[in-house]
Amino acid sequence: MDITLATIINGVLMGCVYGLTAMGLTLIFGVMKVINFAHGSFLMAAMFATYYFFRLTGLDPYLGMVVTVPLLFAFGYFIQHFLIRPVFKIERDVREPISVLMLTAGLWIFMDAFALALFGAFYKTIKTSYRGAVYHFGDVTVSVSRFYAFLTTVILTVLLYFFLKKTRIGKAIRATGQDRDAARLMGINIDRIYDVAFGLGIAIVGVAGAVLMPFYYAHPTVGVVFDIRAFIIVVLGGLGSIPGALLGGVIIGVVESVGAQFMTATWTEGIIYAIFIAVLFLRPEGLFGFKAEW
Amino acid sequence: MKKETGPGRRLRIEGKTWLIVIVIVTLLALPLFIRSVTFFQFMILILWYAYLTTSWNLVGGFAGVLPLGHAAFAGIGAYTSSVLFIHYGLTPWAGMVVGGLLAAIVGVIIGAPTFKLRGAYFALATIAISEGLRVILENIQKIGGFEINGARGILLPLKGHSPIDFQFLDKRYYYYVILAMLAVIFIITYRIARSKLGYYLTAGGEEKEGAEALGVNVAKCKLIAMAISTFFTAMGGTFYMQLVHYIYPRGILSLDLSFEIAFIAIIGGRGTLIGPIIGAVLLVPAAELTRTYLGGSYEGVHLMLYGAVLMAVMLFRPRGLMEPLEAFYRWGIQKLAPEQSVATDEVK
Repeated sequence: MDITLATIINGVLMGCVYGLTAMGLTLIFGVMKVINFAHGSFLMAAMFATYYFFRLTGLDPYLGMVVTVPLLFAFGYFIQHFLIRPVFKIERDVREPISVLMLTAGLWIFMDAFALALFGAFYKTIKTSYRGAVYHFGDVTVSVSRFYAFLTTVILTVLLYFFLKKTRIGKAIRATGQDRDAARLMGINIDRIYDVAFGLGIAIVGVAGAVLMPFYYAHPTVGVVFDIRAFIIVVLGGLGSIPGALLGGVIIGVVESVGAQFMTATWTEGIIYAIFIAVLFLRPEGLFGFKAEW
Repeated sequence: MKKETGPGRRLRIEGKTWLIVIVIVTLLALPLFIRSVTFFQFMILILWYAYLTTSWNLVGGFAGVLPLGHAAFAGIGAYTSSVLFIHYGLTPWAGMVVGGLLAAIVGVIIGAPTFKLRGAYFALATIAISEGLRVILENIQKIGGFEINGARGILLPLKGHSPIDFQFLDKRYYYYVILAMLAVIFIITYRIARSKLGYYLTAGGEEKEGAEALGVNVAKCKLIAMAISTFFTAMGGTFYMQLVHYIYPRGILSLDLSFEIAFIAIIGGRGTLIGPIIGAVLLVPAAELTRTYLGGSYEGVHLMLYGAVLMAVMLFRPRGLMEPLEAFYRWGIQKLAPEQSVATDEVK
């Protein structure tokens, strides 16, 4: 019984990190109607940034966020500004630009291969004071670093919610997502909103990279694991829905950790794909309502 | 294509026919003059990629969607034909058709729910399903009574030189087989591009709502294209298996192969007839050279090259490298025979 409870709790914790990655993906999609295929590669970049920040300064990854998150924001901002925007311009009047999907897919492969050449195929981990430490809540044992990751996710989600609801730029971002043309007519600079939204999505990934490093490893292809999960999660939660991404992440995390109790861990991946196909057939708009114009 | 009576029109067709004849004769005659095994290994690889990208192009190019998991279908083909061969002694020549049908069914299963939705869903579904299939194959030792050895993969029993079992000792036979396969898929693509289906596909890919308003069942057309594309991709998988005699999930069902197929076609020019072939001719040798000379610690360099070239193409030549090459071809014709090309332009 306790084992099951612990498993579920650990699944929720890990699922939150999946959800965090997926949140960036779904934010970008919600605004630009583009799946950023390179999303996992940005996560990989974030993890390496966290890793090298730690190696250089010895400061905790959570402190390192002060540096890595703005860095990732700038990275995403400029990738969108200089790489994606020109391609977008060509297909301006198309509602869903396929060539942008291709561009990000190219970016994915490029970044992964580049990282492999640059960093080598070694697994890189960092040793924080709390790596391997656990909390005991009654009979339930919870990893400290995963618990921090969970807390960070919750805080970030709340912050993001208020940012999008209350601030001027947040409102502009939502308006652009709802209706590109109407937003432009209201005097919103769509191009800049895209830059900011993409940067923001990547900054969220920057946070994910920082909270992952204390208990995960950095590797040039680490993004693929989270990428595929994030793709499934956003479809599960409904493309473009931020709460959907978080809940989808938790579902995937729980399925994974509970499934691992009954079968080999690799098989649980099979279950995740089965859920994915089932959602595609039965509820393509995602589990949590949100039937948008598309 | 019908020959028209205008003088310019005839000349242009003759010019093109002439080029095609030269290419075909050269390709057919190569084995008579060249004996090098490495050379044919190289040629087979280029033709194999050209075959896969042309198959991909049917759905990725004409249907205007982005399949990123075609390696899964190559894997289905290779596994099906090999399992049938090992357990029932069924010749891979027949096995590849069975594998193709199976792949077409899987393709339709992915396409059926996703073609009704926006393109992002389809692209995501293809990636997820091909990765899912790889995971499943890696973890299954047996399907029913068939040993597939999980992650270790399967080895094809060697029969020596046995054309009936699709096994040859001389690479030149494989060369002719893949050349013929490429010819078949090329002709099919050519026919489809000029058929009602082809026009429906292009229309549905470019303006889904518009085509639907005119009564085109876009999703159904895309499903047909998907079935044909996956069928032939699976046959390509069987060919690969017969060539290397060994297959394992991470080898053929990799994301890398899926991306290579898609990228080569896109870089060459998706939705065009020879774009994917041009892409393979340009990129596969480049990839092989970097692999040979950089190899080892830089194993991913050719993917870096693909990714970078793809991004450059998307930025500067969104229709692919076909476009500048065609312009170059026109320019060459004009240099060689100025009056004729003027006539061509008039007709055009």
